[in-house]
Amino acid sequence: MSQTGKWIAGLFIGCYLAVLSFGIAGHALKFGLAGNTLSYFVVWDMFCGWQAYDQRTHLIAESVSGRYYDLREPWGEFHPYGSLGRIQYDVFGHMVSKHINHLLTHTQHEPIDSVYVVEEAWPKQYNLPERLWKRNFGTKRDKISYYHLRATCNGDGNVVNLNPDWMNQQVLNSIADNPRLRHEVNQAHSSFGMWYVPTAHTSRHGLRQSTAVAPSTN
Amino acid sequence: MNRSRQNDSSLRETISDFFFEEQVPMGAALTRIFLPLMALLPMLMRFPRVRELYSSDGTPVQMFELFGNGEVLPIPGPGAAVILYSLMVFCLLCGIVGWKTRLSLGIGTALYVYFNLMDGIGTMTKYSVIASHLLMLLTLSPCGRMWSVDEWLRQRRNQNVSIVPRAFPVWSIRLMQLLFAYVYFGAALTKIQTDAFFSGEQMRYWMLSNWNYENPVGEFLAMWPPVLLVSAYLTVVWEILFGFLVWNRRLRLPMLATGAVFHLGTWLLLGLYIFPAVCLSGYLCFVTSEDVFRVRRWMKSRGLRLAELWKFGPRIPAAIPSGVTWAIAAGLFAVGSVEAEYRFDLYGVRGESGFMPIEEMDRERAVSLIAGATPLREKDKFFSFQIGSTALGGQLANRREVFKYGDIVIAECNLNPPHEDMWVECVLEDADEHKINSVGQVITREMLRGQFTLLLGSQLSSGRYSMVLRSAGHEISRRWFTLTGQSPACDVDTDVFGN
Repeated sequence: MSQTGKWIAGLFIGCYLAVLSFGIAGHALKFGLAGNTLSYFVVWDMFCGWQAYDQRTHLIAESVSGRYYDLREPWGEFHPYGSLGRIQYDVFGHMVSKHINHLLTHTQHEPIDSVYVVEEAWPKQYNLPERLWKRNFGTKRDKISYYHLRATCNGDGNVVNLNPDWMNQQVLNSIADNPRLRHEVNQAHSSFGMWYVPTAHTSRHGLRQSTAVAPSTN
Repeated sequence: MNRSRQNDSSLRETISDFFFEEQVPMGAALTRIFLPLMALLPMLMRFPRVRELYSSDGTPVQMFELFGNGEVLPIPGPGAAVILYSLMVFCLLCGIVGWKTRLSLGIGTALYVYFNLMDGIGTMTKYSVIASHLLMLLTLSPCGRMWSVDEWLRQRRNQNVSIVPRAFPVWSIRLMQLLFAYVYFGAALTKIQTDAFFSGEQMRYWMLSNWNYENPVGEFLAMWPPVLLVSAYLTVVWEILFGFLVWNRRLRLPMLATGAVFHLGTWLLLGLYIFPAVCLSGYLCFVTSEDVFRVRRWMKSRGLRLAELWKFGPRIPAAIPSGVTWAIAAGLFAVGSVEAEYRFDLYGVRGESGFMPIEEMDRERAVSLIAGATPLREKDKFFSFQIGSTALGGQLANRREVFKYGDIVIAECNLNPPHEDMWVECVLEDADEHKINSVGQVITREMLRGQFTLLLGSQLSSGRYSMVLRSAGHEISRRWFTLTGQSPACDVDTDVFGN
């Protein structure tokens, strides 16, 4: 290998290892990663945490005549990693508006007035197969699903009403289960103006409110 | 001063040797054969959906959008998307066989990264990232100099004179190896920072998730916290040590073997298929020529000679330059893909009735789903309730249904977060479900489990009992157990009533 080749290779090695080191340090110390898409290539957070509840998203379209439609791909959902449709991996709702618009512009239907984004949640122990359920719990499985209206969109997919997601709602409920805190919150006065400035990406498509962790699909 | 200069020069030499030592690139060639194949598998699955996932006639959600940077990449029309996608598939296939290796891998890698970035929801994952790194480094490596069409063509140019494999500087292969060290170290940091990782709860919830492929072994082990607890520590220790010990000649194989077991474990326990396949094919970059010779000797001793397969290789005359053939084949592949996609007609636009209809839903069900605001049941705040007698790492390590006098009964409840601060009671009842005694404790919102301990002394007579978990006035769960043997008190004086 020529001396110049060695220098060029050395420069590449230095830069490459510096970028990988930045990913490790940035992830460990939590800096330089927010809003940095390329950081995804150097941060190794394959185990970012999992919720105790399983969740699914349902899209229900309401037509101008008051009929309801199960809004999903009539040509078949795409299952990226298992048996779930792609929309189920969109934990923060980044895709919902586009998805609704896409489905409504590529299917046959009467005019649609609203589309409801409904979350379904249930505790994960109910995911155990029957055999293991009996062995571990010894009781009858009485699973119920909790449904929660996450958002209402218009016929173009634009969000017109947004609620906290179900997990976030449970977190809020657990915090609010404190009479003293409730009392103090009721007594408090907030001033508005400079605390929260919505940006284009937070106000348009995404339904980003959850404080809960997202599933990693690695 | 002299000694310090000597040390500096020795360190420089060591680093230089580490990166620029010359080796026959057998490991890189093996990685070239297997890694693009593994990276291609999920991409081939997406081939019929290119229009939907990556084109302006679908719903691509770019990684940049997930990070709040908007749509940074140009979104191609469906035709262009199919052409680019088929070119990516063709190039990665050429990379596998080593035909125009560097060009193929270069184009294939760029398009692989592009298409992954185009769909942050259903395509980009961490295995795509690892594969992207490895593919980029393979492009820079001399991986096409062994076991490749390029090498075969080179030999043909030289009238089939067998050429002794050349050695090349290993820096690109070292970077591939170092990548694994960084990945594991970073993964260990993530786990250290993740709440409830070392107590196993996080792992349990992942094993019970159905986001990946089926994982029956994981579902079984999810109910055994001690296994999760021990494996959590072992994993983190191995991940940290990997980058330091894999370079050691004696420890290289044990570290890699542990890694292989770890990745196979993610397949069995978590239902991950592609991630372990990508990582294990990446491990091939650690293979040295000595390893290959050792395997060859072993195969020879059993009468297997892979080299003889070359005898059956086609004798194609060198009529057209390889580059031209490559370009024609790429073009044909792309045109064929566009035609196939057109005929596939994903959205059914060219059917008799045009677009397909969406399915009407039962009104009552739709309204119940939209209006659903069922409060969380008290029992759903709990994951499980078990009894046993041994604790490990603060968690119940066994389960028992039969106890004898003098044993300690540990009753453990696991809670699903989030939950409020709770008062939880454990009630001991007899066979007729009459309360004998009870104990309660506060479980604050950050706690994921509570334990109640009962010493089986002489107060109880032998027989059947139950431990009942109660919260907010509800019975959450009941565990039956049998107390056997003779009460110690009875040995002393059978007339004394002890309860």
